[in-house]
Amino acid sequence: MISLEQLEIGYKTRYQTISIFKDIHLTLHPGNLVGLVGDNGIGKSTFLKTLTGNITPLSGDVLINSKSVTDINLQHLSQILSIVVTEKIGGFNLTVWDVIASGRIPYLNLFGKLTSHDETIVITSLDQLNLLSLKNKLMDELSDGQRQKVMIAKSLAQETPIILLDEPTAFLDYTSKHHLFSILKKLCIEQNKLIIVSSHDVDLMKHYTTQTITMMANNEIQVVYN
Amino acid sequence: MALALSNLLIGSINLLSINPSDPLFYTIIYDIRLPKTITSIVAGSGLALSGLLMQSLFRNPLAGPYVLGVSSGSSLFVAIATMLISSSQFSHYTVLGKSMLFIFSIAGALLVTTTVLMVSRKNKSNIVLLLIGLMLGQILGALQGFIEYMSNPNDLKTFVVWGMGNVGNTTLHDLWLMIPIYTITVASSFFLVKSLNAILLHEQYAQNLGINIYHLKIAVIIITSILVGIITAFCGPIAFIGISVPIAARLLFKTPHHLHQIVFCLILGACVMLIADILCQVLSANIILPINTMTTLIGAPVVLYLLFKSKLNFV
Repeated sequence: MISLEQLEIGYKTRYQTISIFKDIHLTLHPGNLVGLVGDNGIGKSTFLKTLTGNITPLSGDVLINSKSVTDINLQHLSQILSIVVTEKIGGFNLTVWDVIASGRIPYLNLFGKLTSHDETIVITSLDQLNLLSLKNKLMDELSDGQRQKVMIAKSLAQETPIILLDEPTAFLDYTSKHHLFSILKKLCIEQNKLIIVSSHDVDLMKHYTTQTITMMANNEIQVVYN
Repeated sequence: MALALSNLLIGSINLLSINPSDPLFYTIIYDIRLPKTITSIVAGSGLALSGLLMQSLFRNPLAGPYVLGVSSGSSLFVAIATMLISSSQFSHYTVLGKSMLFIFSIAGALLVTTTVLMVSRKNKSNIVLLLIGLMLGQILGALQGFIEYMSNPNDLKTFVVWGMGNVGNTTLHDLWLMIPIYTITVASSFFLVKSLNAILLHEQYAQNLGINIYHLKIAVIIITSILVGIITAFCGPIAFIGISVPIAARLLFKTPHHLHQIVFCLILGACVMLIADILCQVLSANIILPINTMTTLIGAPVVLYLLFKSKLNFV
């Protein structure tokens, strides 16, 4: 569960503090697929990064299971919250298996050895996204849609109750977008996860999300329950 | 691999093993061949490891201590130290002189690594990183040229010969200083395995996997600087081992896992350096070629191969 209390987000440069949104008051419960919409550059990524603790709030607080996100240590947080961002992963011989197995890193010993329990979880994650046939492929050989699925599978392997996705549908065709959202929807329902997705596909999201957070140009935030 | 090592050891001795087993034989092995072989192993594996750490940290297969100017930083500081030493009473060969070379060399490496890392935060492009390293190397080289120009003929010759790379200058006494530092730094790199595996994805992902990136960066800076520093202090700036060995290791052993990568790089680095050293002695009858000619001739094509073969993401 994420609660935002009197949250003010923005960023600080050396010379000035720029506030983007103020007084955000919101509680997000498990089992929900939450859409985050807004124009380019309006602050969707800043919002998500504030939720992950990467950016400290200008004021107010982000509470994850009623504990401030900045007070939770990195190791513990990595077992509660996982992310899927837009950066392309590849090179260095990274295969689909390696990337998904890296989701187990928060649980591994110093030398990063997978136990059979970890391997089972990786295989289950692969299976949930129908990636088993691709498991030995290099990341560089995948299409954009497959890539996104791998990153989501990594999040599943991380076994976190909360998943944040930053524009996962950006490079996908229409069918893949639908497919992706139905997978996310299924995860919310079956595994009672809280998933927050930012996207520009407003109409598409309406079909799948349980609530939509709209960041508007007049610095207001609107929350609609579907 | 172990076979290759022993093989190489014998190979380099064979040249002169026509000598009967008399005191001369003993001297050649213990005072010349053994230190030289050990130095080759330390230098080759150490540089390969620091190259690997840099490539993973920058997520850039074109990184390495030589191309990013770290070796040049070390060189400049060693030149400064040599100047200071020769203008004072004590010589290079005392423990104090050696330690001073060491400390200066490591400080030079530290300075450049930190600078490159700070600049790279502003610009994430692979090629730009390489150009920054190149430019830094040029600036440091120019400064070193200035020092060389101002120094006396004796020091100048030392500088020039040392600048071409040389694994044959170390004595057993030097190794007593070099090996413990080398062992500690190499061993501590194994503690970074998990963090390095995570950072191959992306910094944001690594952080989300519970890795403290700031700590990892500091650790990599310290380990690479110490390794490059001690190696450069003794052997001079050795070219292309640091960049090419990790690339070759990745092409040969297709694994991204750093526990394996570190081991492969250490072994391959040592082998390549031994081969280069042997070639330097075998190819010309009377003179020993400077090691940098060989490491460049072996290493640079590997980098070129990577550039031609794979489509790198120059974003």
